[in-house]
Amino acid sequence: MRLTTTDGIVVEGVRRSFGSVHAVTDISFEARPGTVTALVGPNGSGKTTLLLMLATLLAPDEGSIRIAGHDPVVDPLAVRAVMGWMPDTLGSWASLTVRTTLQLTARMYGRDVAQAAARADELIDLVELWELADRPTRVLSRGQKQKLSLARALVHDPSVLLLDEPASGLDPAARIELRILVRRLAAEGRTILVSSHVLAELDELADTAIYVERGASISAERVARATSSSRPWRIRALEPTSIVPALIAAGIAAEAIGADGSGILVSVDTEQRAAALLGALVSAGVEVTSFSPATGDLEHTFLDLQARPAEPGDGIRL
Amino acid sequence: MKLWAGIGVIVGLELRQRVRGVAWYVLLGVFVVLIGIVTVLVGLATASFGGEDSGGWLYSLIIYFVLMLGTLIAPALSGNAINGEREAGTLATMQVTLVSATQIVLGKFLAAWIATLAFLVASSPFLVVAAALGGLSVGTVLVSLLVLAVELGVIAAIGVGLSAILGRPLFSIVVSYLAVAALSLGTLIAFGLGGVAIQSEVRATTVQSIYEDGSDSYTCGPPTVSTYSAPRFDLFWPILSANPYVVLADATPPQFSEYGSPTDLFTGVASLVRAVQVPPDLSPDFDYCSSATFEPGPTQEETYGKTVPSWFVGLLLHLVLAAGALLWGIARTKTPARRLAVGSRVA
Repeated sequence: MRLTTTDGIVVEGVRRSFGSVHAVTDISFEARPGTVTALVGPNGSGKTTLLLMLATLLAPDEGSIRIAGHDPVVDPLAVRAVMGWMPDTLGSWASLTVRTTLQLTARMYGRDVAQAAARADELIDLVELWELADRPTRVLSRGQKQKLSLARALVHDPSVLLLDEPASGLDPAARIELRILVRRLAAEGRTILVSSHVLAELDELADTAIYVERGASISAERVARATSSSRPWRIRALEPTSIVPALIAAGIAAEAIGADGSGILVSVDTEQRAAALLGALVSAGVEVTSFSPATGDLEHTFLDLQARPAEPGDGIRL
Repeated sequence: MKLWAGIGVIVGLELRQRVRGVAWYVLLGVFVVLIGIVTVLVGLATASFGGEDSGGWLYSLIIYFVLMLGTLIAPALSGNAINGEREAGTLATMQVTLVSATQIVLGKFLAAWIATLAFLVASSPFLVVAAALGGLSVGTVLVSLLVLAVELGVIAAIGVGLSAILGRPLFSIVVSYLAVAALSLGTLIAFGLGGVAIQSEVRATTVQSIYEDGSDSYTCGPPTVSTYSAPRFDLFWPILSANPYVVLADATPPQFSEYGSPTDLFTGVASLVRAVQVPPDLSPDFDYCSSATFEPGPTQEETYGKTVPSWFVGLLLHLVLAAGALLWGIARTKTPARRLAVGSRVA
């Protein structure tokens, strides 16, 4: 796939209200082809409303959206032809089988009967629903419905994928499969936007992240500040009691040291300071077995943004 | 996507779901049993009258029965077509495909119509029985089946349209039933109340015979004038033309006996409706003295022949209602949505 400026998702100053509820006040971002972009924000921050606008279901009050170069308001059919959407609600036609559901969805994308049947078989293979292919969808568990929903979003081989909470309800093995599948789809040149609450999951999945708060995307500077703020690191050693004295000897204040079930936690503000601290511990003779951030990058940034409200000049309109 | 290809996919989706459900078969079964009971009872009744060629009565009764049950079932089959999918979270997954709102709504409408017509098909054995009894004209069969099918389609269209316009499935089904009730019963009530409310004064001139005592000779007395008021149903008969039963009766070619009386229920109903077109005589003369000859009133066939048909007005009104409901429904199903109804959800 040739990458041009018209590929991917471009959102500028999008706003949408429902009566007096301002679901999305000002969101701008770009998602590039070949990458997985995470959409991170607390409940009610406007993630699903944004995805509904990207999926051509809701018209924005203001602002512009381009999906693979097409405007979803002006030319929704062009967007629908290249966009796959996996909703957060797991609706399915209860009395129809998995296979029939996928075949009918393919027909709704204009495929003929033979193409639809072949595509349904491919997708059943892809999401590993062989055993349930000819059972009505009402017998599916939540995780199986997630798989069906993902398969449905992929029916027409879209170049832009919008995944709303794709991992919820999946068991650990299925999450790993989902991650591998999404990475593969991105490697094929697709633009993928994923919203999720499972931040540890997104850390391994996403290349970049957009943070939204109260309907607005958070400025890059504020995200950078949050990313670089101090965060807890977890330290483990063969002899756990040797860690705390060595930390104090290395100049760490006692109140910056804590512990949880699996190790000693210490608050460090930069990666450089962390590397220096590790060196100090090793040279003090502590047999370190593990030295790592206690929170994932996304989780850390997310929590820091939550803890610190927007400051004036951060470009957030409230 | 081509209009009909998209509609075809939606119809296929709907019918597949319908045939997998149990409710559909239960309804059909109950329906066939009811029609069977009616056929047997009417057959026994007409046989006891010793009437020949009673097929017209039986046939028209079955068709009326199908219309009644059809208008009772059609809202249930169509009244949650769109908002039911919305509640189940499946409407949005269709709206993001290349199928348009027009195709979704029209596909749902056609599927609901087909599902309702299945009840007509299920009643066909009994219609054949009625035809075997004789006295049935081809015109009656063709026109009544056509009008019945159109009327069932009108109800299906109103139900599907309302299901797209209103958010809650229960609410839209109830409003669909109210629409059916307004057409079937509301028109009768409005007609009756209107006729009773507007009354005209009748000045009747009566001449009585005065017999002399003890003889058969008599003289004609002076004319006496009495006044009373009469209801003016003739001013309100157009309301009845909106009634689906009247449309069906009035559209069907009339079948009269050699004595000018109806030989099927359609003609009977149509004759009654036609008769109310005739305004009451506001200054009648009742001369019981000089003209001893008794003049019989016009037969029903004569009244029918002198009055105007109204079925096309009613049918046109129904078609306008159906088309309006569908168009409004399509507008409310279009995405990207700008305005949302209060409390409604997108996905």
